[in-house]
Order: sequence, then structure tokens, then C-alpha cells
Amino acid sequence: MSTDEKLADQRPLSANEGIKARSRLLRGTIAEGLTQVETGSLSDDDQQLTKFHGIYVQDDRDLRAERGRKKMEKAFIFMARLRIPGGVLTPQQWLAAERIAIERGNGTLRLTTRQTIQFHGIIKSNLRRAIQGLNEAMLDTIAACGDVNRNVIARVNPWQSRAHADVMAAADAIATHLLPKSRAWHEIWIDGEKQSGGEEEDEPIYGRTYMPRKFKIAVALPPHNDVDVFAHDLGFIAIEEAGRIIGYNVVAGGGMGMTHGEPDTFPRTGDVIGFCTPDQVTDVAEKVVTVQRDFGDRSDRKHARLKYTIERIGLAAFREELQRRLGHALAPARDFAFTGNGDHFGWAHGDDGNWHFTLFVENGRVPAGAGLHAIAELGIGHFIITPNQNLVLADIPPRRKAKVAALLKAHGLDAPVSGLRRNALACVALPTCGLALAESERYLPDLITRLDEELERAGLAQDDITIRMTGCPNGCARPYLAEIGLVGRSPGLYNLYLGAAFDGTRLNKLYRRDIGGDAIVTALAPLFRSYAEHRTPGERFGDYAIRAGAIQPTTAGNAFHSDLAPELGS
Amino acid sequence: MLPESAPFPADQITALNRIISGSSAEQRSWLSGFLAGYQAATAPQPAAAAPPARRAPLTILFASESGNAEALADAARKAAGKLGFAARVLDTADATPAQVAAAQNLLVIASTWGEGDPPQRAIDFSAALMADDAPRFEGVRYAVLALGDRAYAKFCETGRLFDERFAALGAKRVADRIECDLDYEAPAAAWLDATLGTLQAEVGEKEAGAVIHVDFARPAAGGAAWTRTRPFEAEITERIRLSGSRSTSDTWHVELSLAGAGIDYEPGDSLGFVPVNDPKLVDAVLAATGHFGDAPLRTKLLEQYDLTTLTAPKFAEYNGNGSLVRQDGWQVIDMLEAAPRKLTEPQLLSLLRPLAPRYYSIASSRKAVPDEAHLLIAAVRYAAHGRERSGVASVDVAERRKAGDRLRVFLKPNPHFRLPADPARPVIMIGPGTGVAPFRAFMQERDAVGARGRNWLVFGHRNYTHDFLYQLEWQDLLKRNVLTRLDVAFSRDQPEKRYVQHALWDARRELHAWVQDGAAIYVCGDANAMAKDVHAVLQQILGEQGRDGVAALDALRREGRYLRDVY
Ligand code: SRM
Ligand SMILES: Cc1cc2nc3c(=O)[nH]c(=O)nc-3n(C[C@H](O)[C@H](O)[C@H](O)COP(=O)(O)OP(=O)(O)OC[C@H]3O[C@@H](n4cnc5c(N)ncnc54)[C@H](O)[C@@H]3O)c2cc1C
Ligand SMILES: Cc1cc2nc3c(=O)[nH]c(=O)nc-3n(C[C@H](O)[C@H](O)[C@H](O)COP(=O)(O)O)c2cc1C
Ligand code: SF4
Repeated sequence: MSTDEKLADQRPLSANEGIKARSRLLRGTIAEGLTQVETGSLSDDDQQLTKFHGIYVQDDRDLRAERGRKKMEKAFIFMARLRIPGGVLTPQQWLAAERIAIERGNGTLRLTTRQTIQFHGIIKSNLRRAIQGLNEAMLDTIAACGDVNRNVIARVNPWQSRAHADVMAAADAIATHLLPKSRAWHEIWIDGEKQSGGEEEDEPIYGRTYMPRKFKIAVALPPHNDVDVFAHDLGFIAIEEAGRIIGYNVVAGGGMGMTHGEPDTFPRTGDVIGFCTPDQVTDVAEKVVTVQRDFGDRSDRKHARLKYTIERIGLAAFREELQRRLGHALAPARDFAFTGNGDHFGWAHGDDGNWHFTLFVENGRVPAGAGLHAIAELGIGHFIITPNQNLVLADIPPRRKAKVAALLKAHGLDAPVSGLRRNALACVALPTCGLALAESERYLPDLITRLDEELERAGLAQDDITIRMTGCPNGCARPYLAEIGLVGRSPGLYNLYLGAAFDGTRLNKLYRRDIGGDAIVTALAPLFRSYAEHRTPGERFGDYAIRAGAIQPTTAGNAFHSDLAPELGS
Repeated sequence: MLPESAPFPADQITALNRIISGSSAEQRSWLSGFLAGYQAATAPQPAAAAPPARRAPLTILFASESGNAEALADAARKAAGKLGFAARVLDTADATPAQVAAAQNLLVIASTWGEGDPPQRAIDFSAALMADDAPRFEGVRYAVLALGDRAYAKFCETGRLFDERFAALGAKRVADRIECDLDYEAPAAAWLDATLGTLQAEVGEKEAGAVIHVDFARPAAGGAAWTRTRPFEAEITERIRLSGSRSTSDTWHVELSLAGAGIDYEPGDSLGFVPVNDPKLVDAVLAATGHFGDAPLRTKLLEQYDLTTLTAPKFAEYNGNGSLVRQDGWQVIDMLEAAPRKLTEPQLLSLLRPLAPRYYSIASSRKAVPDEAHLLIAAVRYAAHGRERSGVASVDVAERRKAGDRLRVFLKPNPHFRLPADPARPVIMIGPGTGVAPFRAFMQERDAVGARGRNWLVFGHRNYTHDFLYQLEWQDLLKRNVLTRLDVAFSRDQPEKRYVQHALWDARRELHAWVQDGAAIYVCGDANAMAKDVHAVLQQILGEQGRDGVAALDALRREGRYLRDVY
């Protein structure tokens, strides 16, 4: 992959490249657009640029049908996504977020699969105030979306205080190092005018057209793979010795998104390419970013992620280019083992004496001002969002534990849920997501209720089985790494995938196409029963599905669409 | 070629231009000579005909908001003319008490607004009349006709105060004041008839046998042919709930066909609508009075009687020496159900006023939609005394009418709420809620005639997402630069309440500039809160930098550049 080869690429750049190039480092005409009261939206180009500021233009799709007839444009609303490396908030920040959701948004906080919070339903006239409110709480939305490095996610384990601190420090360092340098966010959302005097800022890492596409980084700490380290462009697997992190295995080329009917798009688990020491982490991150910056596909956004770059140029060439830029070779990867990619709920005692409560939050949706509000008002500990859309109330001093426990109970936040439900993820989908083809967050809870009946019948009610649903194949809830994956195809219809590894190391495989709720239950019920009857000790449902011959194992991302049952075609 | 500013509609300008451009120099010179001669021949002759000495002068002074008193004043002038008076009509908006004190014979027709206030254009006159330094009225013969609505606590207050004040200032009352409720036509006509007769006798000019009966209800030409008693049956061709499905309000866009009606409305006018009562309420009234199932009576109640307004006299009539206490907000049904009693049909009907029409600003221009009138109607709903209440007319349209049905309508002109005669004059239109209706008409009109004046709309409602009435139309007008500027205020979108007056304040610098450029300011919509708050903020804005805002706004009003249509 020489420069010649890049130059040989005669395809036109994607439209977004022009938008970025013309944007004066992400400014565009957003500020003017905000003053246009006749529309609740922004210009098409600006809609692309606000993403870099963590802000999406959406519309309430439940209302689409009625709008034109009522002589009103679509019901435009904005989604704002925080940037919270490692997902850690103070209780004061949690309260600020709640207040903004109530005053400026739709009254809910949405914990995401990347350890952050989304605000939905902010109308244009409230947007600046909302962002300013966040800023006052020392929060921001910079680079939470867009063609940049996104929120860096990290293993949540405050009960192992030193290791957690190390992992958090690595995540923070990477996040800070890769933060865009443009002042546009402050200018547009906070100060309201151009910062005077200063030099025209520059983007030393990204350049003026930023990345070809989004870029995601996760830091894992075995044996827990709650971050799904193989699902990201770049992953770091912490290697621990005697309670300290001695370095990280480097994983590259993971990603979830694909497009229905386009087999050259596929989810991919990243490859472990070596090991680096803690002090090399930010440099490795930067150099992986720059390789992708220079080699990623800037013509076709559907093939612009690092996973396709690696597929195109080959893993060896990628590693070679990376090491050339690093100026040294990566050390050989160390051994590691994962046990699962979910969360463990309830109280845990930390090695520093503090207590931590992992709270189940269905699909990450939290009504602002409800039970958690009372706990945040105690002003103690931390609120840590997990990559599984749950919440850890961390660092609670022993003498306050009873108080927190009482509040949890009073607000029904400690109620036990089934094994399937506590291992479930659903993406947002309708009504806000513009890409949704089917329901997800609003539907999965009901479907689980039905599946739970079958599981109970099979005696599996408390078994941990992972199930993830998304409203489209983009894979926001990482559905291809769930033992049961459901991916929306059209309203009411889903593709059903089976056979992923419980620890997030193997993708699943298509089992049924275009089926609705009844058919999903009908398809799974016999498998539940035979699993209950025939599983070997400790055997996971995903592994069993392969052994039982329901599907072939997916050995690599580019084989995701292969080896399907004959009736599914290829 | 005629310039665009020629005083003709655009289509006529085009037609004239076609003729002129196709004509020879000879033809044009002939035409100019012809026009000059024509003008001289048809111009009004200087008045020399009437023998003023013989005719008694009569001043007919009116104070009107929505035109009822004004129309009566006009009818009275015609009638007085026939009786031999040299009658002239004077609007309180243009008159001072001193001018009026010079009259010998004075007929006063005044309506009451707000909570017992004078009509807004009569406020100055009223204040001057009540002031300590008001002129004396000795030697003035007068009588007062008061218009009002018994649903209001201060019924006919303005007329009453005027009447008392004229007497106190030394004028001679020749007839007792009449206080008319909403069905004023017949009593007003009879009173005017009689009072003009009395005045005639007083001035001793009575000519034998010249007793003329004046038919005040006689229809005039054009759209005025249709009245509340003889409404036009307009077909609903379109009926759309504009409020979003999650809106907390319920506002309807209604398109009516006026084909064949000859209702030549102008932007700014309203349509009167004669509603039909809620059948559930009718049945409740019938049940409470022992008439349940009486079909003919039911029809009468549905179409002719006001079943909601409980006026003090009617209450007293029903209660007699009874023990009921009339509570605030009680309607007829509350009284009937509090003390149900079998009533004869005449007893029941005597408790009820005639059903009054409701008025809706026309939201369209005939230049854009010939033969149609569009209305914007907000359903009135609230709960009181444990009962869900529905506005008679608005909910009639919102719930019980559909496309294809007919509404009984008539024209209610509003000559005091018109676009500037000069199409180049900028306008600032402040119309939150249904107050935006006439401004849609204004914009259609200005768009259709290609008026060059700039247009600024200030709109407000509760929620941007669900209540932005006609949003796509405003977007289109902005895009085409017909609408120059739009400001909005949605009160419930954020913790801090935001109303149009806040939007105006935020835009005060531009507002100043527009006013400097000659802009006319229009306000339409809610009278209780909005119009007052807007009035106050306009005074405040015009009063910046040490200026006198009150005087400045007053001056604008006098110049006809501050016009309101509020209800
Ligand atoms: C909120 C969240 C899902 C959730 O339920 O938690 C989410 C929601 C959306 N994702 Fe995602 N993604 C979220 C995690 C993911 C993940 C999981 C992860 O990152 O670990 C993936 C798969 C990993 C990957 O990137 O491959 C993911 C892959 C996508 C894609 C496909 C990207 C691709 O290159 O294949 C899109 C579409 C796109 O970018 O064009 C997308 C686009 C979107 C958008 C912004 C829709 C859009 O572009 O208009 C969704 C907003 C919906 C809404 O109404 O809120 N989202 N999205 C997650 C927010 C993460 C965060 O806080 O930053
Ligand atoms: C010139 C003019 C133009 C107008 N233009 C429009 C227009 O364009 N669009 C429009 O929608 N309306 C307009 N109106 C108002 C309209 O005429 C009616 O008054 C309105 O629709 C209510 O009529 P209704 O028969 O539905 O209600 P009604 O049966 O007349 O009931 C209204 C009465 O209910 C009572 N009421 C209302 N709300 C409450 C409450 N919350 N608590 C207690 N009591 C309450 C009040 O006494 C009020 O007077 C205009 C009015 C005028 C005078
Ligand atoms: C908003 C509003 C307020 C009114 N307030 C009163 C009032 O306080 N007392 C009263 O007797 N009539 C009141 N009326 C009734 C009017 O006086 C009545 O409709 C009259 O016929 C209007 O005459 P005009 O068109 O000449 O202004 C009110 C009418 C409206 C629409
Ligand atoms: S997976 Fe698809 S439907 Fe779900 S949030 Fe992501 S983009 Fe939207």
C-alpha cells in the first residue's frame, strides 16, 4: 500500500469530505442556523458538522405522518451526546444532567453503549442553553459523534481501585490526546462569538478533514470484556500483574455496522496485533489514528472504517505501516482470558473499603428526577455508566451504604430481573433514530417478557444469556456479539442471529430472516429446551447453538455472511 | 408605462399597460384629453345645494371596537337625513369633547369592551370627557344608546358612564338610555326611531306627515346582504386540525366556499358564524326542565338560544325568592341542575338569550383564494364547577363539523384593521395564537399584489413543535422574501416563560428602525393579557433613551400606524 496506490484511487471523495474541508474547522454556518426561527432544523451541511459537536438533528418519527398535512415541517429535535471518558460522573454532574433533560430535553437520560448520556428531544431554541448548562457542570459534547475519535470507553471496576484508576488514566489520556483542537464548539455553543486575538487553530493529528469516518477506542481489563473490546476500531486489553497494569495488548479493526443486502459490509472482531507498555498507549492510539486517517476510504463511507482498511491492505501491511510510524515494533501479545461481556449486578465491596452498587437500567433509559435523583442528592461517590447501558453507584463509604440501599429499595431500583433481561441491550431506534428500520428500545422489553416464559419453562430463568436488539444493521447495541442477536429489517421484522461467544470474542451468525415476535419465540423456544437438557457443564447458549448445529461458527468478520443454512441463501 | 405604485391592482396595471403600449401617440393624446374632461364632469360639485339654514344639525358620535356601534351610527345618519337633519357621524377616535360640546343635538352610540372599558379607539376621548377640565355641555340635547353583552359583569358600562357624564356636564337628556345586549338590532332600531322622533319634536322642525319608519335591519349591498339573521350557508371545503397531536391546544384551519355569496371581504375583516349548540348540553337542559325528548323544542334550543350565558336578571327570574346563590362562572345548566324544576316552554325560553354569533378573523385574501374564506379557530375547553365546558362555536367546528357541512356565516367588516394604503409601507404584525389569522390574509394579499413593503411577523404559542401554526407557509414566504422577518415566542418550551412581548423586546433595535422607516404596527389576538403586555412593551421600547414612549405610541395610533384587533 504505497502512496501510488492511494493516488491511483480515482473515485470522487464523498460529499462529507467537502463539507469538512469547507467548514473552517467544524464551524460551517451552524451559528447562523441557530438563529433561524422558522425552522427547527439546520442546513444539510451543518447537520453533518454538528455531529462533531456531539449533536444530531433528528425528528420525532412518530409524528412524521401528520406533519405535512398540518402545514408544519417535520418535528425536528436534537440529540446531544456527552463525552465522558470511562463513563464517570460526579453526583453533581448527574443532577445537572437531570435538570437539563427536564428543562431542555424530553425528561429522560439515555445511558448509551459507549458509557455516556444522550439527551433526546431538545428543540433548537433550547440547544444552546442545554449545552451551556452542561458546560457549567464541567461536561461537554465535543467529538461525541462525527469523523473523529469518539468517547473512549473503559472497563468499570471501581472495586479494584488501583487497576481501575490505571485503566481510567489510560482512557483519559487517550481521550485528551485525540480531542480535536478546533475552538468551534466553545465558539458556537458557549461564548457565542469568535475567540478574538488567538491564532487560527490547527488540527495536528487529524488535519482539516479529520478522519474518513468515526473512530472508536475501548480499554478492557480481563477477565471482564464489558467494553466488547473486539467491536472497536482500536482496543487495549490491560495486562495486570500483582494489581498493577503492566501494559496493554493492542486490538485493531473491530466494528459492528453493516448494510442489509450488501455482503461486502460486515461486522468484524478486531485482531490482536501486539503489546505496548502503559507509557506507549497514547502514541499507539495516535499512530493507529493517523494510519487510518491516511489509508481509510474517503470515497465510500460504507467502507471507511478501519476494519475495511485492514481488510483491503491486509493485517501485515497495516501493522508494518503502524510500526513504521511508531518507530518501533510492538511486543508480542500477552495471554489473556475473558469470561463475559456483561455486568454483574448488586453490591460489591471494593479493595479500598468502599461499596459499589451495579444497577440494572433497562435499555439505559432513565427518567430524570426519579429515584436516582434522591441518591445523587446525597452527594456521595460516583455515577459510572457501563458499556452495557447500566449504572454503577461507586465509591460509597461504608457508613452511607445503608442509606443508599434504603433509597434503592424505596424507589424499586434493586428489584431482581431475569437472566435474559439483565443481559439485554437494545439500541434507541424509534422514534428518534433516523436510521431505524424497526423498533428496538420500545420493543425488546416486551419480547423478553415472552421469551422469559419459555426460559422459565425450560428452567433457565436465572441463566445468563446475552440478547441484543437493534433497529437496523448499524449495530449500535453490538448485536453481532450477542448469543441472541436481533436486527431490524422493516417494521415488526428482524433477522435472528445465534452463536456468538458469551465473552464477546466470536460473532454470531444469521439463523432466521425477517421474522416477527411470534416467530422469534417459536424459533428460540425449542433451542432453549434442548439447551437446558443437553448442555455440558458451564456450556454457554451461544456455544451450544453451534454444537447443536443450529448455525456454523463465525470465524472472522469477512466470513459473517458465509456458511449460512441453505434455505437462507448466501 | 404605469409604475408599479400606480393606484390600481396589479392586473389592472398590466391591462392598462397593454393598452397604452399598443397605442399610437395620437390615441394617447386623445385619451389624456378624454380623461381630463371625464374627471371634470364627474367630480363632486362643491356643496351649494342644501339649504343649511332650514336643517337642524345632528351629531352622531360613536365609540366602537368591532363595528357594531359604527354601523348603527351610519344607519342612524341615513335615517336622520330622511327626517330632515343635517346629520354627521363622528368617531370618538377622531374627536375631542370640545368638538362634541359644540353640537346642538347629539346622539351617542357606545359599546363596552374589556372588563367594562371603552373601546380602545375611544380611550382618549373617554379620558378627556371624564377629566376635571372637560368642557361644559350646556345647551346640548343628547341621548345614549349603549351596546354590550350581559355576560359581562359591567354591562354597557361605557354607555352608562358617558350618559351620566354628559348630564353632569350640563347636557340635556332627551331620551332615556337604552342598554342593548348582543341581540341589539331590533331594540336599537326601535329606540333610534323613537329618539330621532323625540329630537325632531324638540327642535321643532317636525314636518307634518313626515314620520318615516326606518328599517335599520335592511340589508345593504354586497356581502352585507348576509346578516346574523340571514346568514350565508357556506360549505366547508377543508377542515384541518393544525395543532399537533401532542399539542395542548386544539386549533383548526377551516376553508369555506363563498362561491355565489358576493361576500367581498378585505384582509382584516372577520366572518360572523352562527353556531349550533352542543346536543349533549341541549339534552341536559331539556332533562332538567322536564322536556326531555321534545323534538321541536330541542331544535329550537340547538339553533336559536344561548344555553350557556347566565345573566343576573335571568338568574333572578328563575330563583325568585329561592335560596340559590349565583356562583361565579355558573352557566344556565348549573342553575337548572342546582334546583331542577319543571318549566313550561315559554318559561324556559324566557330564561335564555338568543344565540349570538361568534366572529373569526378571515385568514385568507380573495386575491389568493377567490371565492374562499379561511378561518383559524381555537377550540375553547375548560372545566368549571365539576363540568367540562366547551365553547359553543369553536367546539361546534372542532368536533361536530366536517368537510361538506355548511356553516352559517356573514361578513363583519373591520375598516379599522386594514393593510396600509401604501403598499410600500413596512408592517409589523404581532399575532400570537389565532391572532395570526388576519396576518395570513395580509401576507396573501401583499404577495398577490406584489407589494414592496417589508413585512415582519411576530408569532407565539405554547410549543414550537406542536403549535407552530402555518409554519410551512411562513417558511415559503420567507424564502421568497415576501415575509422579511419572523420572530417567535413559545411559552412552554423552556422553564422561563417567553411571550411575544419578550420577542419584541429582544428585537427592539430593529423595531425602532422599522418604525423610523414608517412601519405600521398591527396587533391581533388575546385582549386580556397579550394585547396589554404588547402595548406596554411597545411603550417601553418607543420610550427608550429618554423618549416619551406613551406619547410616541399614541402618536402612532393617531396616524393609523398602531392598529389592534383583539378579543
Ligand atoms: C445511543 C447509541 C445506542 C444505544 O442504545 O446506546 C447509538 C445510537 C446511534 N447510533 Fe450508533 N449508537 C451507539 C453505539 C454504537 C455502537 C456500539 C459501540 O460503539 O460500542 C456501534 C457499533 C460499533 C461500530 O461503530 O461499528 C454503533 C454503530 C453505528 C453506526 C454504524 C457505523 C459503521 O461504521 O458501521 C451508525 C450509522 C453511521 O455511522 O452511519 C450509528 C449511528 C447512530 C445514530 C447516531 C443514528 C444516526 O446516525 O442518525 C443513533 C442515534 C439514535 C438515537 O436516537 O439516539 N451507530 N453505534 C450508542 C451511543 C454510543 C455513544 O455514546 O457514543
Ligand atoms: C373580532 C373578533 C375576531 C376574532 N377572531 C378569532 C379568530 O380568528 N380565531 C378564534 O379562534 N377566535 C376568534 N375570536 C374569538 C371568537 O369569536 C370566540 O369568542 C371564541 O371562539 C369563543 O367562542 P365559543 O363560542 O367557542 O366559546 P363561548 O361558548 O363563547 O365561551 C367562551 C367563554 O367561556 C368562558 N371561558 C373560556 N375559557 C375559560 C376558562 N379557562 N375558565 C373560565 N371561563 C372560561 C369565557 O367566559 C369566554 O368568554 C374573535 C373574536 C372577535 C370579537
Ligand atoms: C373581548 C370583549 C369584551 C367585552 N366586554 C364587555 C363588557 O365588559 N361589558 C359589556 O357590556 N359588553 C362587553 N362586550 C360586548 C361588546 O360590547 C358587544 O359585542 C358590542 O356589540 C360590541 O360593539 P362594537 O362592535 O361597536 O364594539 C365585550 C366583547 C368582547 C368581544
Ligand atoms: S442500530 Fe440503527 S436503529 Fe439502532 S440506534 Fe443505531 S442506527 Fe439507530
